[in-house]
This record gives sequence, C-alpha cells and structure tokens, in this order.
Amino acid sequence: MLNLLKMDAYRFIRNKTMYMLLLLFCAFQIFGIFMMGQYSQEMEAGGGVAVGSLDASEFIQYTLSQPPSWMLLYITVFVVYFYMSEYQSGFGKNYMSMRRARIYTILAKIWISALFVGLLFLTMLVSDWIGRGLFFDNTTWGDAGYFVKLLIGQFLLHWAFAILMLCITVLCKNLLAGVIIGFVLALNIPGMLLGALESLMNGVNISQYWLVNTLVAVKDFNDAGEFAQTLLVAFVFIVLFAAIAVRHKIREDLN
Amino acid sequence: MPDTIIEMKNLTKAYGSKTVVKSIDLSVYRGEIVGLIGKNGAGKSTLLKMVAGLVHPTSGELHFFNRASADGQSFFERMGVLIEQAGLYPHYSAFENLKLLAIAYGLPNANAQIDRLLKTVGLENSGSAKVKSFSLGMKQRLGIAAALLGSPDVLLLDEPVNGLDPQGIVEIRALIRELNKDGLTILISSHILEELSKIATKYAIIHQGEMVEVISADDLLHKCEERIELRLEAIEAAIPVLERELKITDYKVSDNNTVYVYEEGAQIRQISKTLIEHGIEIDSIHKHQQSLEQYFLARTEQAGERHA
Repeated sequence: MLNLLKMDAYRFIRNKTMYMLLLLFCAFQIFGIFMMGQYSQEMEAGGGVAVGSLDASEFIQYTLSQPPSWMLLYITVFVVYFYMSEYQSGFGKNYMSMRRARIYTILAKIWISALFVGLLFLTMLVSDWIGRGLFFDNTTWGDAGYFVKLLIGQFLLHWAFAILMLCITVLCKNLLAGVIIGFVLALNIPGMLLGALESLMNGVNISQYWLVNTLVAVKDFNDAGEFAQTLLVAFVFIVLFAAIAVRHKIREDLN
Repeated sequence: MPDTIIEMKNLTKAYGSKTVVKSIDLSVYRGEIVGLIGKNGAGKSTLLKMVAGLVHPTSGELHFFNRASADGQSFFERMGVLIEQAGLYPHYSAFENLKLLAIAYGLPNANAQIDRLLKTVGLENSGSAKVKSFSLGMKQRLGIAAALLGSPDVLLLDEPVNGLDPQGIVEIRALIRELNKDGLTILISSHILEELSKIATKYAIIHQGEMVEVISADDLLHKCEERIELRLEAIEAAIPVLERELKITDYKVSDNNTVYVYEEGAQIRQISKTLIEHGIEIDSIHKHQQSLEQYFLARTEQAGERHA
C-alpha cells in the first residue's frame, strides 16, 4: 500500500487544484470574518451572538454551524476531482492488476483525503487567527483541552465526510454527479428530510446520528457523552463507507 | 513441451444478458507473439482485459505460469499492459507519468530506466511537454513505455499501432520484435492483419466472442500460399506419380481426396496430363491463392454461418 500511497502523495503535492482550493478557502474565510465584523454590532443589538468576543473554539463551532458548510464543499470538490482525474485518464489501468492494488488504491486515497482535511483545518486555523486578529482584535484560543477535543472531533467528522464522498464517487464514476451529490449533502438536505420524517413519527430520533447533523451541531466537547457520540458517528461513517468503496472497487470491471 | 505462460480455459464474460466472450480456450507459450485477430467488437479487448486482471471473468479459468489466477495475483505484476488508449495523466509530462508508475511499482532509482524507456520509444526529447499536447501516436508510444516499465515477462498490447504514422508503425514493429528476441512473450490484438502478419508467430481468430481458430504463422502461411488443389479418388496411386514422374516433393495431403501441391513451377496441364496417362481420374484441379484477409474473412464467415 505504501507504494500507491507514495504515488498519490506525489500527485497530491503537485496538484495545483489543491493549492487553489486552500488559497480560495483562506481568502473567503478572512473575507467572511471581515463581513462578520461589519455587522457584528447589529447582530449583538438584535440579540445575536457577540462574534467578536468568541475564543477560537467557540468561533470554529459558530462558523461550522452556519449552513452551508464551506469546508464540506471544498472537500467535495477535492475528493471528487482527485479520484476522477485518475479514473478518467485511465491511469489506474496501468497498475490495477498488481496484487491488492484495488484495495490499496482506495486506502491510499482515504489517507490523502485525511491529509487534505488536515490542511483545510490548518488553513482554517490560520485564516481565523488572521481574520479575528485583524477585524475583532481577538486572538484568544480558549481552553487548550477543549480546543484539542474540538479539533479531533471535527477533523474525524470531516474526514468521514471525505470518505463518504469518495465512496459516492467510486460508485457513480461521474465528476458532475459526484459534485452535485456532495453539494446536496453539504447543504444538509438529507438531514433536513430526516428531521421532517422524524417529526411525523413519534419517539424516533436518528437524525442526531446523521454525519452532517453531528458535524454542524454545536456541542460541548467537555461532555464525555457528546464527545463519545461524535467519535462514534465519525468511526461508523469512516468504516462503513471505506468498506463499501473498497468492496465496490474489488468487484468493479475496469473498462 | 514449451512453457505455458498464459492458459485460458472456457473463459467467458457476460454483461447482463449479452455474452461478449464465449468459452475461449487459448494457450500462450514462452517466447511467442500471439496475434489476436478479430473485427471491431469481436471481444478482443475484453479478452485482453480479463487476462490483464482488469475485468473479472464471468466463468472459466485463467492460469499464469502454470498457476491458477485464483491462487493470488502476484503474477499480474509480471505483465505490461497497454489496452485501448494509453492511461496517462494529460497534465503531466511523459517523464512524470512514468515516474508515478515507477513509484506505484516500488522501483528504486527508476529515473535511469525511465530515461532509457523514453529513448526506446523515441520520446527522449519530449522534455516537460504535457501529455495533453502529444499526438495520438506519441501517447501510444508512451503507453508502450509504461507497459515496459518494470521489465515484465509478458506484454499485452491492444491495437498498439493505432494512430501511429507509417514510420512510427515500423519503429514499434521493430521494437516488438526486439523485445520478443530478448525473451518477452507478447499477446497483441489488431484488426490490421497486414500488420500482425509481420510479427505474429501464432494467430488466434476471434469472431463474435468465440475463438474460431488458433493457427501458427507457418501453417497460416502455408494455407495462404499459392498452390494447386487436386481432388481425386485414387490418392494412393497419384502420390507416386507426382513424386516419380513430375518430381514434385513439396505437397501436402489435406484429406482422403485432396492434395495441395506447393512445388514452384508445377503446371496444372502437366499434372493432369501425367495423371490421366497413368489412368488416374481427376475430380477437379485448380490453382488456389488466398490473401490473409481472404482467409480471415472466410473463417469468420464460416463461423457466422454456424451461428445463423
């Protein structure tokens, strides 16, 4: 697997789209904070959140809970593009007959998506720090323990979303369809439908376990139960969709 | 007995209700260049994809190096594959594409090998030019270089001269011969018989997914050679006359009633006159010559009639 991971990493670091996405994300993140700064007083006056006084953890929670989740959109574009560029070029056919290559190619892409999600989080931290410093004069990080738990939880949830997107792309083998499905998921339309369905059925509450709902919900990561639920949801989605993607790839005819 | 490199037994592939490859049996021996001949859509590419491990057979068995493919897939790593268009990243250079593949194969210090391969296929001057700017012929050459990376034992080539100019075709043909001389076993498909006839040592004719005939290049040449076809009842009596009186030594008894005479300079008139003088009745005698295309068409038409 290491060889295929190295190959994908070689492609990853030479991928201009990846750098462009990170740069775009950074620019929009800072611009978003600038816009928040413009309307922060009106928001506070209207009983809204005092964004300027939030520490880093609270600020991340606040921005992630605002739909649509921009990070999910960037993850969608990257994952679909990274997988489909290899699939459409037919490059995979050169090495796919190697021993266990079908399994390893998916696992390599899962690790690469983790790398991208990590870079996305790093970009978010840096751009939030710059934006909050410039427009709110506030660069406080808050409680370190809470901050680390928040990052671990959110990283795993976003990585699980990347794997879900990889699985969808492996199944549908279509760039446009993959991106559209990703956008629908990022807008949390399935979560809304699930919520609507729940309201029709008494006593059923499964929407809290839906990945995007867990991702956008403001949680207390110091609460062991909430933190465990976050890890559980992430773990289930990671394992389930990685397994489906690998299984499909093994059975797939490469025409 | 020669080493069997690839052995297909009842190999079948169906997509839904459509069977595109039907119970193919074929053995490829070490050092052979096997030409897979068939019209477009005959099932050549699907067959090669099954051999390459890209497409799963619906039924049947594949053996490599005398081991069943179900035993494991490590033998696939001993194959170089170029099927249909070369699988290349358009935004990378020729070198970068091969570099990526070398990393996937885990080849240490691959740069020298990549440079050598690019030189072998005539792309040593492609530099940093991206593959998207390459002509179809250049892409095919790079595809062949990719297939040769890692020094495989077997090369699977599907229509490798597609898109090449005449000079490119000659160069690739020379390259294939050279590789074969170095011990590489090659399974090559084409619908251009003329091209295959210059390199193949064995032919496998495939039509509508079925193997019509497997024939050695020598036998095919013999079948297509100019000859006199002689049909008669008393074949045992005719042979000594042909040998003694007409000094004919290059002939073949096809069946109980037919003799093919390949002897250069043999004349129909002279043969019939001599046989009649010896009291041997002739049912028919005529000159026969068939091109490879005619032979191929005749065989596929026969196969088509069997289906009808």
